[in-house]
Amino acid sequence: MLENYFPVLIFILVGLAFGCVPIVLGRLAGPHRPDAEKLSPYECGFEPFEDARIKFDVRYYLIAILFILFDLEIAFLFPWATILKEIAATEGLRLFGFFEMMVFLGILLIGYIWVWKKGALEWE
Amino acid sequence: MDFKTFVFYMFATIMILASLRVITARNPVHAALFLVLAFFTAGGIWMLLEAEFLAITLVMVYVGAVMVLFLFVVMMLDINLDRIREGFWSYLPLGAAIGLLMVAEMVIVLGGSYFGLDSMPEPPAAAAGYSNTRELGRLLYTEYVYPFELASLVLLVAMVAAVALTLRHRKGTKSVNPSQQIAVKRNDRVRMVSMPTEKE
Repeated sequence: MLENYFPVLIFILVGLAFGCVPIVLGRLAGPHRPDAEKLSPYECGFEPFEDARIKFDVRYYLIAILFILFDLEIAFLFPWATILKEIAATEGLRLFGFFEMMVFLGILLIGYIWVWKKGALEWE
Repeated sequence: MDFKTFVFYMFATIMILASLRVITARNPVHAALFLVLAFFTAGGIWMLLEAEFLAITLVMVYVGAVMVLFLFVVMMLDINLDRIREGFWSYLPLGAAIGLLMVAEMVIVLGGSYFGLDSMPEPPAAAAGYSNTRELGRLLYTEYVYPFELASLVLLVAMVAAVALTLRHRKGTKSVNPSQQIAVKRNDRVRMVSMPTEKE
């Protein structure tokens, strides 16, 4: 089975080479005479105002964490989809496979509705 | 050494070096990016174990989502490195003691007597048509269905906690509510005034 992934490995290696070789070649072949002015961050021609690291709105964090939670929820659906027919074919478990996922999704749906009602998905 | 072993050692070497850089890199953003590399190579190793679903999930969830969150946090913290490095030597004895304790525990648990090839032999080669995802689904959705349902509750708690901790409604923002905008009636905006006609 792993043979099928050999092209993926080749792609990873080619991608790595594609990214690294030009940088290394440029570093080796080009002239390299840095000074303070050349190494300073370029900000549209004027002096940089402040550090790049500033405090920004915590709301970005909220959006990111909600994204992760629903991303995880979706990840659970994939193995379920591969096995659902087999569970349905088992005696005594006919609709079990379907309803266990509906309970799972239902609990998260409560959270989703709550988050929506709370206004966390709004961008004021 | 066959090709698979070579690929394994390649991934393992990159992963160990990347993990070392995670804790030694001075710039937290670089540390987070090395953590991405470590997750990625861990996904490669899982792929070698034919655990395709887990490998892809690792890349999708951890690299795609969790590390984005890490980078947000690193950016938001506005870290002053010099202030963090203060008191390094005074904390060193306690930190080193805890670190050594953890290493000792890991050696005891992961040492040869419990985790070697004698106690855990190499699994037999998978039969043709074997699918790790199906096996995972079979266990997760029949035998371990209760922990699976609990997982949704854990996600719900995380959702509620994130909203409760970070959601602040600001006053005086000039955002518009589209549904209110659409629902506006003529009478809300225009006032008809009947006036007597003026005579000259």
